Amino acid sequence: MSYGSTIKIPFGPQHPALKEPVHFLFEVDGEIVVDVKPRIGYNHRGMEKAFEQRTYIQNIYLAERICGICSDAHTTCYTQAIEELLDVEAPPRAKYIRVIIAELERIHSHALWIGIAAHEIGFDTLFMYVWRDRETVLDTFEMISGNRIHYAMNTIGGVRRDIPAVMVPKIKKGLDFMEKRVEYYLNIVQTEQTVLKRAAGVGVLKPKDAVNLCAVGPVLRASGIKNDVRADDPYAAYDEIPFNVITHDGCDLLSRMLVRCEEMLESTKIVRYALDRMPEGIIRVKVPKKVPQGEVVSRVEAPRGELIHYAKSNGTTKPERYKVRSPTLGNIPALCKMLLGGYIADIPIVLAGIDPCFACMDRMAFVDIKKNKEWIWTMQQLRKSAK
Amino acid sequence: MENEIVENLKDFLKENLVKATIPRKRRIFVYIKKSALKNVVEYLVKKLMFKHLSTITGVDLGEKIEVIYHLVYKGSITLSMKVTVSKKRPNVSTITDLIPGAVLYEREVHDLLGVKFEGHPDLSPLILPEQWPQGVYPLRKECKLKQLKEIASKQSKKEETN
Repeated sequence: MSYGSTIKIPFGPQHPALKEPVHFLFEVDGEIVVDVKPRIGYNHRGMEKAFEQRTYIQNIYLAERICGICSDAHTTCYTQAIEELLDVEAPPRAKYIRVIIAELERIHSHALWIGIAAHEIGFDTLFMYVWRDRETVLDTFEMISGNRIHYAMNTIGGVRRDIPAVMVPKIKKGLDFMEKRVEYYLNIVQTEQTVLKRAAGVGVLKPKDAVNLCAVGPVLRASGIKNDVRADDPYAAYDEIPFNVITHDGCDLLSRMLVRCEEMLESTKIVRYALDRMPEGIIRVKVPKKVPQGEVVSRVEAPRGELIHYAKSNGTTKPERYKVRSPTLGNIPALCKMLLGGYIADIPIVLAGIDPCFACMDRMAFVDIKKNKEWIWTMQQLRKSAK
Repeated sequence: MENEIVENLKDFLKENLVKATIPRKRRIFVYIKKSALKNVVEYLVKKLMFKHLSTITGVDLGEKIEVIYHLVYKGSITLSMKVTVSKKRPNVSTITDLIPGAVLYEREVHDLLGVKFEGHPDLSPLILPEQWPQGVYPLRKECKLKQLKEIASKQSKKEETN
């Protein structure tokens, strides 16, 4: 109902909807959102400046830490940019390994999102199920790289670790399990009233708006626009692997759920295909430390959408300028559009609907399993211990 | 395809096109004069189907600042269009009326490099804190890490006393 006058509500930076700091100023008329003003930057770490201070080798580790969930997408984008500046190419086997890691990452990132979306609509059973099953992918990562999240697989000129033949059946076993589970979730999303009532027709983004506001990734594809960097501007080994670009034309939250579920199924197929056809050979080539003058634009389809890096080199061991635009920033104008005209109660799920990237924390938690104790270190204490 | 796009741009821009290069498949770099920006963006969006703006990059060149618009044709060909502005008067017209999705990218470049986008609806801080000192642009080369650290420590002290 309308009251004929509006009221402004500040939302964030700390708020119950997400674990990530972001601020929105909502103007509401009764229950309806009539204006949205975003304010970001609470987690700005000055990384672009930091790139200029470090060598190309050190920057691999910096790029890995831009995001905790799509860490591989950032290093893929970074390493292929520097490879292009150096005029070297990663060996074919490394390209296939990059595809396998990228698609496994997409599966676990989308699974994480489905869990969060389920939680936001009050369907915590689904949240628990999805996050339990997501462990299968994280275990696979641990087997391949020793890490669950920051796999540190990419390096300039190839990848750092091989995927030996002995691991292939184990990865496939995990994929079979995930495929079955995702089919089950897809069925739930399509039929369960709890989901349909909260997602169908909510957070509408018309195709025209999606294009004008430069939306990216699953958000764009759920508005019926068939754009995917993997297919349109292929990198790594994507030009050799057949796959479908998933689109839905519901333009709402339900479509965003369906696109992500079906993309997970597509990803399992891509990983299987790549595992079967991985060429033999070396996994990395040696590259010089100094990078000749030049500039390059590098694009990758991260789980959340188009990721673009711009690199400019000046002939030394450090870049002159390094620019990163993550998919979440690209989707913020579209998000504001989705919220307009919607209910206050739908804000959390519509906000979660673009899958905003979780912030990294400025302190670290340590857990001692033997003593079953947990404590937290501040940055100063961490620096002290490092000395 | 890439050559065709560059030829079209040459015909449209004439003397306003400074340089155009095609470093590899699906990548184009063009340098244009600042005065032609609005017209060429309109031409690219409406006639050449460059509907998607990936981002806007600002680069400090010393005396000048380079603003790069990364436009994409059907998700595939990336055209990086460059204009330069002087550091003393870093003004360039906004393209938000032609591409609404540019609104945050322009604010980001405004925050971090101090480029003023004339006609932008709202250039208030997007990334930098409210109390950030005026005229300090972190991504300019004259802005050293030491200065940034001093500003950050001053602000965190202020927050502690509050």
